[in-house]
Amino acid sequence: MSRRLPLLLLLLAGCSKGPQADLQYIGEARSIAGEWALVNEQAADGKLTGPYIATMHKSLRQQIETAKAALTVPDSAYAHEMATLVATPDNAPPQELRHHADRLKQIEDSLESA
Amino acid sequence: MNPLELTLGIMTAVGGFVDISELVFAAKAGSKFGYALIWVFAIATVGIMVFGEMSGRVAAVAKQPVFNLMRHRLGLKLGMLTLLASLIANLITCAAEVGGVAMILNYLTGAPFRLMAVAGALVLMASMWVLPFKWIERTYGLLGLFMIVFAVALVAIHPPWDQIAGGFVPQIPKGLSTKELLIFAYFAVAIVSAVMFPYEAYFYSSGGIEEEWGPKDLPMNTITCTIGFGLGSLLSIAILASSAQLFTPANVDPQLLGSSALEVAIPLGTTGLVIALLGMLFAISGAAVETCMANAYSLSQFFGWEWGRHRKPWEAPRFTIAWVSFFVVALLIILTGIDPMQLVEYAVLFSILVLPLTYLPLLLLAGDRSYMGEYANGRLGDTLGWLYFVLISLAAIGALPLYFLTSGGQA
Repeated sequence: MSRRLPLLLLLLAGCSKGPQADLQYIGEARSIAGEWALVNEQAADGKLTGPYIATMHKSLRQQIETAKAALTVPDSAYAHEMATLVATPDNAPPQELRHHADRLKQIEDSLESA
Repeated sequence: MNPLELTLGIMTAVGGFVDISELVFAAKAGSKFGYALIWVFAIATVGIMVFGEMSGRVAAVAKQPVFNLMRHRLGLKLGMLTLLASLIANLITCAAEVGGVAMILNYLTGAPFRLMAVAGALVLMASMWVLPFKWIERTYGLLGLFMIVFAVALVAIHPPWDQIAGGFVPQIPKGLSTKELLIFAYFAVAIVSAVMFPYEAYFYSSGGIEEEWGPKDLPMNTITCTIGFGLGSLLSIAILASSAQLFTPANVDPQLLGSSALEVAIPLGTTGLVIALLGMLFAISGAAVETCMANAYSLSQFFGWEWGRHRKPWEAPRFTIAWVSFFVVALLIILTGIDPMQLVEYAVLFSILVLPLTYLPLLLLAGDRSYMGEYANGRLGDTLGWLYFVLISLAAIGALPLYFLTSGGQA
């Protein structure tokens, strides 16, 4: 049995679906929203260059879109939260982005403790 | 020992120590586990000091590069397998570094990523064509010293130094769930791999032969490896510590190469950001050149071709074709659109699998008195060498299961 356990875990990891399987993407989206807020905050303070801000915005948006596309439950609270993030303008206020990050963190925590 | 040469050697080792995988994993490790993985960086750094010193000593005394020895020590079949595995590992690493160069140019200029990948690769190849070995190594190593801005940024944010110092003590954070423990283990393995990348030994020992080292150069070899790599590693630890200080409270797990530069911009503003990006650009460029040349060295030495940058490119044609081809293939991999950050994960994973095979022949040879005479490993060198061999073998065994169980440290 002990030899089969890692294989079983690998198979389970590969086949899982549902909110638990989406945890990874929820975490990614939460992190991206937090980083986006940091970028916009520093940009507002004049600490970043134009090309850096534009490239970070583009990359962060791409990452959220990739995470959203990978969700196995597209009609869920976290999917809607991620869709809202995708629709958010690049220069959104940091507080608004942090609000999304906090919402996703709450969902992530509740799923992890379930 | 010429003090100027020694200083330049140390500075080159410091500036050339950090590459894309260390940048990525240091930032991620700090945000996920605070200072708890600093000790893994420290232990892996002693490992690369041990094997780096050995590879330099073997080059200086036996006048034999690693891959020549590997074929003699392991036999043709196992030697060929090792060659193939290291070529693949180095090629993936080289592609990740070329992608990293393009990303940094993208952050600096805003120009399209693919255009920057082509432009960056062409400039790097031109520098490899034109510059002699010593100046290739020194140019990128010394310009990589811009990375010191990460240490300055850490000081500027007034981190809890006692907690950072505590991170050097081997530990596993308390209260982690099974999932978090697996992720912690995955990061530990990835950091060992990133710090002890096999290309570093190939490049370093081949460089020793290019520069015609002899026994008189052994003190410089020892000092460069210990002080240079040690100080270089502190830059990685500074990135980790800044990440723990700035990203953890913001619930950010940095996913982008540009995130590391943000650590500097927060305390030091635009000037700090630009210096950090330049430091990253030169450090990653240097690693791209080293991985590509390491592959050309390995291939040429294994098959007994003429090799070396002390010769004109046309005087060692197969060596020249090899490094040009590896660079072009690395560029083509990036141009397919694959995410360089994903390549970093593969590079780290593949490299740790190759690591034991790479370092075993070196360890055997450095301890062999028939080759090395009075310069063979002493008791300390042998003990440390075998300890690290066991460590990297365990890391190699655990790497694949940990990668799949944690989805590459994500879940």
